[in-house]
Amino acid sequence: MHIAFRYRLLLPLITALLLIVGYPLGFSFWVSLQDYRLTAIEGATWIGIEHYIALLRNNSFWTALRNTLVFVATAVSLELLLGLSLAMLLHRRTTLGRNFFRSILLTPMFITPIAVGLMFRFLLNSQLGVITKLTEAIGLRIDWFSAQNALLTLALIDVWQWTPFMLLLLLAGLEALPEEPFEAARVDGASAWQSFWHLTLPMLRPTLLAAIVIRMLDAFKVYEYVYAITRGGPGESTETIQYHIYRVGFLYYRLGEASAMAYVLIAVILVLVVTLFYSLRRA
Amino acid sequence: MKRFLLKPLLTFALALTACAPMTTTPVAPSPESGPASVQPVTLTVIMEQVPDYDIVAELTKEFEAKYPSINIEFEAMPYDAMRDKLLTSFLASKATYDVIIVDNPWMDEFAKAGFLLPLDDYIAKETGYDFEDFVGPLREIGRVEGKIYGIPYYNYALGLIVRQDLFDDPDYQAKFKAKHGEALQIPTTLEGYLKVAKFFKEQGIHGIAMQPQRGYKVFEEWKNWLYAAGGNLLDEQGNVIIDNAAAQKALELYITAYREAAPPSSLNWGFDESLRAVAAGEAATMISYNWMLPTLNKPDGPAGNLAGKFALYEVPGGKAVLGAWHWAIPKNTASADAAWTFIAWLTSKETDKQRVIKGGAPIRISVMKDPEVWQKGFGQQYYETVLKILEDAEPLARGTRAEEIINEVGTFLNSAVAGSMSVNDALKAAAEKTREIINRP
Repeated sequence: MHIAFRYRLLLPLITALLLIVGYPLGFSFWVSLQDYRLTAIEGATWIGIEHYIALLRNNSFWTALRNTLVFVATAVSLELLLGLSLAMLLHRRTTLGRNFFRSILLTPMFITPIAVGLMFRFLLNSQLGVITKLTEAIGLRIDWFSAQNALLTLALIDVWQWTPFMLLLLLAGLEALPEEPFEAARVDGASAWQSFWHLTLPMLRPTLLAAIVIRMLDAFKVYEYVYAITRGGPGESTETIQYHIYRVGFLYYRLGEASAMAYVLIAVILVLVVTLFYSLRRA
Repeated sequence: MKRFLLKPLLTFALALTACAPMTTTPVAPSPESGPASVQPVTLTVIMEQVPDYDIVAELTKEFEAKYPSINIEFEAMPYDAMRDKLLTSFLASKATYDVIIVDNPWMDEFAKAGFLLPLDDYIAKETGYDFEDFVGPLREIGRVEGKIYGIPYYNYALGLIVRQDLFDDPDYQAKFKAKHGEALQIPTTLEGYLKVAKFFKEQGIHGIAMQPQRGYKVFEEWKNWLYAAGGNLLDEQGNVIIDNAAAQKALELYITAYREAAPPSSLNWGFDESLRAVAAGEAATMISYNWMLPTLNKPDGPAGNLAGKFALYEVPGGKAVLGAWHWAIPKNTASADAAWTFIAWLTSKETDKQRVIKGGAPIRISVMKDPEVWQKGFGQQYYETVLKILEDAEPLARGTRAEEIINEVGTFLNSAVAGSMSVNDALKAAAEKTREIINRP
């Protein structure tokens, strides 16, 4: 009776999840198995896994996936590095004006990404951009949106906007760490680096894992910067997977194909997250 | 199970319906019965948030005064939001929008999908409407498989916008003559354009503010070069010819112009950037929408002190890319007759003349030839040039998959400009992709 009651309490949540997560997931999978075009919904026919097979030969899709992986890896690792360094700095009681910097550093996070994209489109513009003028003043002539640099530029914009998020999480993690092990280490004569490497990092691991996974999932969704600045160009060099899926699904109305792409993306993300989880947990 | 679900759902839906305001009644004047209708109708009109919309919204007050039973509600939004919203409205059992505007790459797609109402009968019954007065190529965009689905709203054909003061400058003229042995003139061929553009670059001002941004923009700009070189996307039989010799020449010259005469590192430039460059006096020419001329020449416009120094010409080669918006009525609207009343009034000769005088982009021949429009608008020369441009213009792309073709070909073109693909490879790939898109079931 008790068990039954326990499960009955879960029922509203399970129902809600089924409706808002299960149904769209199931429906989009069903759509991915059909020749489903928004301009001819009634003519949609069952084609099985044909879309998935076609994806194997679809170079644009794999280019977009590769671009996204490069973007995520670059952006998240830089954010982690910067975020952790800043968090360590702001965690030190001796840092001057740390409360002021804490609030100032968080501001980029509050701007909507599409506005950030538009801002940087003009800040980095070769003729009109302030940043370009400043770098030229010190003798650096960088073509931010060339075929070679554009993806890195977008990743750097992401770093500008989302390092604060990493900082926020890691700072909270640092502040939650117990004092005693550090005091003991100091008594034992450990250097700052030793106590960072042997104490801070291992104890911070759960927070690090959470921060990386959250940022990674978020970075996979990159769309706004691409849309506002490069539209996927030059060529396909900044075509990210979300932008690609958007184009196929909502610009060309080929929803079946777009759904199949989304499913492959889910699979890739799942593999990545599970691998990351296991490797960090085991370590 | 189905019945179990159906009942509460229906009750819920009915409850929602009961909550909805009862302001609109789907009864409207029909062409036979004339405008006199007793029951009020509210028409929801989807619009793109551009200056032309402001003019239409202003004029609509006169319409509402004349037809008190028809109330117009505009929903204006940015371009990129429109395609999704339109489709959602088409697929709903009852249309969200009773009057819509359709961009030219969407016309065949929407008409052939059965989303739009044919307007031939309405046009035939409208006295004094003079449909033939719309410029031919604009009229043709609205015609799909012999039926008319769209009435022109405004054009965005491309023209060559130049800094006339630079071309007229005696110093530049002398230098050009000394270098090339000919007078510095508005270019009428691609080779001539390149020569002039390079010359200005040597004088310290960028020759062309180009728009090689991937997708739509590069395709829209380059297709003018393609026409000038004698090429096209498809031949008259519908074969893909975008990889022929003319296309090769057009792309090679376009890339040379980008490398030697455009602002450096402008590979991701679109409309905004090139307009700013020209308005800021950094570039001597650009290929852009013909109605950008009045904007640039407006004393309180973006060009500041340079206002009044710009002039509009036909693009080199003469034949221009034609873009246009059309009014259309969705098949699933309950107020088709009222929707037509609004469209017919707005696009009538009289109202259209007012619209153009207020700065709207012209669509009717009679309006462009009207001395009153010349005088109150932007002058005789401007309207005559626009008419010339429109008469010799061809849409960006046609067919049900125009949007996809434009974007995909635009990707390869941008790759070629970026140097990551050779001209030959890019055009071959573009042709192959276009064939694949066209032949897809």
